[in-house]
Amino acid sequence: MDALAVSLLTGLADAASLFLVASGLTVIFGVTRVVNFAHGSLYLLGAYIGWSLLTRLPHSPLGFLLGALATIIALAVIGMALEMALLRRVYRVPELFQLLATFGVVLMVQDIAQYFWGAEDLTLPRPPWLRAFVLIGNQRFPRFDLVIIILFPLVFGVLWLLFRRTRWGRLVRAATEDREMVAALGVDQRRLFTSVFALGAGLAGLGGVLALPDASANLQMDLSSVTDAFVVVVVGGLGSLPGAALASLLIGLLQSFGIMLIPRATLALVFVVMAVVLILRPNGLLGRPISGSGGGTPALVRPAPMALRAAGGAALCAALLAPFYLGDYALAIATEMLIAMLFAASLHFMMGPGGMASFGHAAWFGIGAYASAFAAHLLAAPMPLGLALAPLAAGVLAVAFGAFVVRLSGVYLAMLTLAFAEIAWAIAFQWVDLTGGDNGILGVWPAPWAAGPRGFYWLALGVTVGGTLALRHLLATPFGYSLRGARDSRLRAEAIGIPAARIQLAAFTLAGAAAGLAGGLYAYAKGSVFPTYISLGHSVDALLMVLLGGVATMSGPILGALAYTGLYDLLLAATSLWRLVLGAAIIVLVLAFPEGIAGAILRLWTRLRPA
Amino acid sequence: MLEVAGLCSFYGRAQILRDIALDCAAGEVLVLLGRNGAGKSTTLKSLIGLVRPQAGSIRFAGAEIAGAEPHRIARLGLGYVPEERRIFTTLTVAENLDIGRQPPRPGIRPWTPARLYEVFPNLGAMPARIGGRMSGGEQQMLAIARTLMGNPRLILLDEPSEGLAPLIVEQMAGAIAALKREGVGVVLAEQNLYFALGLADRAVVIEKGAVVWQGSAAALAHDEATRQRFLAVGAAS
Ligand SMILES: Nc1ncnc2c1ncn2[C@@H]1O[C@H](COP(=O)(O)OP(=O)(O)O)[C@@H](O)[C@H]1O
Ligand SMILES: [Mg+2]
Repeated sequence: MDALAVSLLTGLADAASLFLVASGLTVIFGVTRVVNFAHGSLYLLGAYIGWSLLTRLPHSPLGFLLGALATIIALAVIGMALEMALLRRVYRVPELFQLLATFGVVLMVQDIAQYFWGAEDLTLPRPPWLRAFVLIGNQRFPRFDLVIIILFPLVFGVLWLLFRRTRWGRLVRAATEDREMVAALGVDQRRLFTSVFALGAGLAGLGGVLALPDASANLQMDLSSVTDAFVVVVVGGLGSLPGAALASLLIGLLQSFGIMLIPRATLALVFVVMAVVLILRPNGLLGRPISGSGGGTPALVRPAPMALRAAGGAALCAALLAPFYLGDYALAIATEMLIAMLFAASLHFMMGPGGMASFGHAAWFGIGAYASAFAAHLLAAPMPLGLALAPLAAGVLAVAFGAFVVRLSGVYLAMLTLAFAEIAWAIAFQWVDLTGGDNGILGVWPAPWAAGPRGFYWLALGVTVGGTLALRHLLATPFGYSLRGARDSRLRAEAIGIPAARIQLAAFTLAGAAAGLAGGLYAYAKGSVFPTYISLGHSVDALLMVLLGGVATMSGPILGALAYTGLYDLLLAATSLWRLVLGAAIIVLVLAFPEGIAGAILRLWTRLRPA
Repeated sequence: MLEVAGLCSFYGRAQILRDIALDCAAGEVLVLLGRNGAGKSTTLKSLIGLVRPQAGSIRFAGAEIAGAEPHRIARLGLGYVPEERRIFTTLTVAENLDIGRQPPRPGIRPWTPARLYEVFPNLGAMPARIGGRMSGGEQQMLAIARTLMGNPRLILLDEPSEGLAPLIVEQMAGAIAALKREGVGVVLAEQNLYFALGLADRAVVIEKGAVVWQGSAAALAHDEATRQRFLAVGAAS
């Protein structure tokens, strides 16, 4: 009984922490329609800045209170600066590019934090008042967590009053519904957006400080918190504050009771809940359909102009001959680039022509990799069979899961793919008996004929070129046209007899299978498979490659993969602050070329060519 | 008060408006007539800044506003009531009114919720009603009242009679006449010729984004040929 009460309290404390971060995220999304990956970075900065302040202030409750307030203010200012310097410039670009820009911020903040505070986890000194417990029966519960629990209704109540009782709050609610109309009534949206951002950032900062007594300030807390916050926001309904509160409660309690009931599935549990909610209620628990987000849909995939084909042919020749002029190390890097290209091309296939952006594309890559590894270990299968199983396994799972995915669209669709990827990751990580957990599966060796760097390079080249061309070819078939039709207007497509959902499912499955193939190749290239193949970071890599290259052209993902992996390797070798540079480069690219590298080249090309 | 010349607007690469010219004085009702798709809504959106005109001049209350941001234009006293009404459906009637509120403007008797509830008694009966739970007619009244809260010198109304019951249309006509008496200018985009000509001082007819006829409302009422040609409507009363 007491254990239950403690679980309940733990769940409530978790829910409160979730709510602090998620509430800011949902309010920001509601008004600006920006999917702000950098929200986790604000939380991280809250923790670090809070740590710096709290270690210098008296270690008393009053000192803590002052430090927390100062952190909130500092973060509000940082959020304001971030909005004015960056986000204000990207409101008009398509929403995925906004995402890209905010991810650039994530990378930059990681390095900034590491530069100022170092790579070690930072914990607070724990004076007696922080260590104090209350006794519930014979169970102990941290007193500080009670404070956090009390903050939940308190913060919710303050926000509620702010949104209901002040003109500012009414403006925010109105802008969440129809910001254009609010502007036409004489309201300066820019100031509204900036102030909303400041509020959200302040809340994230508060969340960050409050994480200090029980945990620490560390460099991983940005992505983990933003993933959790996204789950809460999506489950609650994008832009809905009560929804975020409800979802925080649901997930917080589920987590703490989940640990008691099924300790080994806790990581997956949250995402299972999210998947179930999205399948049953596509707009979240209390959400409404989203209108008028981001700017414009991506343009068509055009056939390659002659010059580009010639360039492609030349590049292919150069690639074929590469083993004769590149060293082993360079060949290994080139092999990784090729695999990245296939991975990026597979995501592009569903994202560009298919109109379905994914935050979890690494799932299919990882499933392919694990399928090959299982084939090698459990079946002692030769490499060709292992390689064939990779796209098969990914494709089969993609068709089953895709049936739910294609019922959604936009951010919700992307979040459902994220949920699936996180479940897959949790299985790979927690089902140690099968997957080896964090240690992965080692000894996935290629067949002797492909064992050398040259042989494997040619294999990767053949598979990547073949796979990419096959995807490209499909787009020029009636299937490809139907797919774009379904993307541009589902209703219209269905009216002229295109089974939009089935077409999209087919595209989703093909994209999954192609990513699985890339994953299988990667498993043999590395000789090993790890859960990190399925991580959010890897999914984001794919997104970055596609968006950097440009969604509108088929050469986009290829160029993007080249540019991204190239830039990455180069920076990694050149500077310890590579994230800072990469993040800045991404932001500059988004601001300068919102149509991606390939799109920019195409634009330059059409401008230079005499009419 | 409003003078427009050479106004050209595009959606993407498609030119929608070609050299639109019109003007409207304080206390005047100008009606913008034209078939569905002629470009009436686009004209009004270009005036309020929701569509950015590519060429042309829009002078309003002594300032050049072509290309300015919507909130600045609205702040100068140009009110806009969109065709789709665009009520904030999760806000109450009173809250919707509050969103439109702007500081008093010299020369305009300030609008308050109480005054607006007199003009639109239906709204006065339901200040706490959520926007999404209102009938089409009530939403239309709320949309106009919300814009009036900004104390506009001139108001752009996009098909306020569309889809409304005759009784409500009559109330709407009464409200517009009241605005005119207050000295507020009104630019009214309409397809409902009877409704429009009953209220308007002057009329501009547009077709395929260009002005094809202009003159007094009385003249249009007697010019059956023009009505037939551009509006495909028979005799007006
Ligand atoms: N958002 C839009 N994008 C592209 N074309 C549009 C858009 N809105 C209207 N149009 C086109 O512009 C033309 C004028 O439309 P509109 O101004 O709404 O006409 P009206 O209000 O007179 O019915 C029409 O041909 C219409 O199809
Ligand atoms: Mg119209």
